[in-house]
Amino acid sequence: MNTHLRFWLGAAALGLLLVAALRLLGNDYAYFAGYFVLQYVVLASAWNILGGYAGYVNFGAAGFMAAGAYSAIVLRQALGLDLIPGIIFAALVAGLLGLGTGYLTLRLKGVYFSIATLCLSVVLQTLVVNWDYVGGSRGAYIIRPREIAPFVSYGEYLFIVMLVLAIGAAGIGRTVEMSRLGRGLQAIRDNERAAEAVGVPTLRLKLIATTLCGALMGVAGAPLPYYSGYLNPEAAFSLAYAVNAIAMPLIGGAGTWAGPVIGAVLLASLQQAATVTISSALNLWIVGWMLVIFVALFPKGILGWFRRKA
Amino acid sequence: MQSISRRDFGRLALATAVAGAGASAGVFPALAQVANPIRIGMSMSLSGGLAGNGRAALAAQQIWAADVNAKGGLLGRPVQLVFYDDQTNGGQVPGIYTKLLDVDKVDLVTSPYATAMIAPAMPVVMQHQMCFVTILGAGVNTTFKYDRHFNMNVVGDNMKDTFAKGFLDIADTLATKPRSIAILAVDNDFAQRAAESARFLARQRNIRVVYDRSYPPSTVDFTPTMRAVQAARPDLIYIASYPPDSNGILRAASELRISAQMFGGGMVGPQLAAFQAQLGPILNNLVNWDIFSIEPTMNYPGVAEFLTKYREVAAREQTDVLGNYIPPYAYAQMQVVEQSVARVGRIDQAALAADMHRSEFNTIVGPVKFAESGEWAQDRNLYCQFQGITDGNLERYKAPGAKVILYPPSLKSGTLRTPYGTPA
Repeated sequence: MNTHLRFWLGAAALGLLLVAALRLLGNDYAYFAGYFVLQYVVLASAWNILGGYAGYVNFGAAGFMAAGAYSAIVLRQALGLDLIPGIIFAALVAGLLGLGTGYLTLRLKGVYFSIATLCLSVVLQTLVVNWDYVGGSRGAYIIRPREIAPFVSYGEYLFIVMLVLAIGAAGIGRTVEMSRLGRGLQAIRDNERAAEAVGVPTLRLKLIATTLCGALMGVAGAPLPYYSGYLNPEAAFSLAYAVNAIAMPLIGGAGTWAGPVIGAVLLASLQQAATVTISSALNLWIVGWMLVIFVALFPKGILGWFRRKA
Repeated sequence: MQSISRRDFGRLALATAVAGAGASAGVFPALAQVANPIRIGMSMSLSGGLAGNGRAALAAQQIWAADVNAKGGLLGRPVQLVFYDDQTNGGQVPGIYTKLLDVDKVDLVTSPYATAMIAPAMPVVMQHQMCFVTILGAGVNTTFKYDRHFNMNVVGDNMKDTFAKGFLDIADTLATKPRSIAILAVDNDFAQRAAESARFLARQRNIRVVYDRSYPPSTVDFTPTMRAVQAARPDLIYIASYPPDSNGILRAASELRISAQMFGGGMVGPQLAAFQAQLGPILNNLVNWDIFSIEPTMNYPGVAEFLTKYREVAAREQTDVLGNYIPPYAYAQMQVVEQSVARVGRIDQAALAADMHRSEFNTIVGPVKFAESGEWAQDRNLYCQFQGITDGNLERYKAPGAKVILYPPSLKSGTLRTPYGTPA
């Protein structure tokens, strides 16, 4: 059996097992906690495509995620369409945004590119704050149904949607890694001029990467208004998303498809546990310390550490 | 009067937190069962941007829990608060309320402070059909239309018609009738609603709006903005702002020596002790929206005792040291729950909601009756003026006279002094 098929079958089996286990548990909180972790799996996998493989550090994750969230709100306001069309629309909008951003900023390198992505987030937030159609600074309300057949609750529905998105994001990351695209991006990360000299179409590959990265981040954000029922610009453009999107792949192991998944599951679970046990003010403190420790001691993340040991 | 010592409060807070977190985590289920407490769950902003008010609200609610338990509890059972920090992040709130209701199995839920944290809790609370008493939300239920939602907020359910009315009514008493107004508001829900009210009511009274702008919450330098306000030469200046910008605006106004017949509006910040200590005389003659003032006309039964207890713990808990803003309302929020449960005689969400719709509540912030929408049936926006403020000494705010009530007439405790910008 080819490795791609094995991955998708394995991921689907794992997903089904997870859904069955949570149904047996019969607790809505598990779905909400699961959703929280899985949204970061999507976000971290998206960041990894540009940041991990190509070495272009995107500080604007919150901006792309919010673009997805507000795209879903626009579609709901304009046409009354629900979550799934909202996710597709969010992928389109955030993907185009990624493409545009890439076209305008990829001549910048290193810290200058990062600053440009951070600025994009600020520009988007200003736009949303002044756009009354999506609630402006007052925020937007989404009245979600209490249940949706055949799911036991709306929480389970959201969890399963996010689970499918997370498996999809990890799968896309893996496909990129094993394809010519991934190898080209890695060549760009190692030495962009040399890559160009040997015929790697750097601009095209980088544009594909920014589009994919943007689209996946938008997808991660689309269910957010349905999850919370209310979204305001402060929540949508929260610094926590931008910080976690970078910290999770770095801790798990950037540049590999499994790294962001491991980092997101580990860090998001820790944060969720901190929220409901010890003071959750420690959340970003935990992220900060883990980032410092991993950058100092395990610069290639958990995966890199295991590979070195092996 | 029975006061709580620092040590007792510490023990109480620790016991509440440990038992709450422990029982919720399933670590001490036996402990929770032995006393069979009535467990009241909430998310609260104990860190992040709203932590100042969140911590003050929680301290007041813990004092309420101690008071109730000292009287033998509720329905003969002790009350226990189960709370989690939402970090002022609306994204955390749905998960927290799901945990409170599905894992911790709390008997009742109340809300965190303010709209941005209340709204994300609503879908979860509605799904579980819980009765929900919230604090200082602004129009949250306009969209949800949930018949078990009750909001402890003086603004009532028609903010546009009522919020700025007090400010303009006071302006009508000026010797020279005001002819122009400048409106400046931060880009957030509360401030935009406040500005909308000022704009609407000013036009109704033929007061010309000569300046009407919003600014983003991240603004730090207000000198150019206030210079533009000054250039418009308005008779009245109405600002709707949040704490960090209120500080910047008032300092800029002071540096530019801005003077107007009336200056103030719906600024959030000057109600807090930290502002009063820092800004000192800059606050003198400011006419600002408020919800509570320690004036004889608002000396409702129990409020003085509450403030004494609160101030004992506030310094140690690093919350607002005076407690003249949120804390009395947070205590009253729990009194609404307490009185309703006592009247109904059992924990029955539908019966509690029916009782809350029907009854009037005697609280430390006065009698409260809810309208069909869950907002206060009668709005009670206060407009207070800081008078005789010469420095940042907070002792003056512990007695009447420093922040006199000018509106509503039923609570009036002083007369307007003009203009803003003159020293005390």
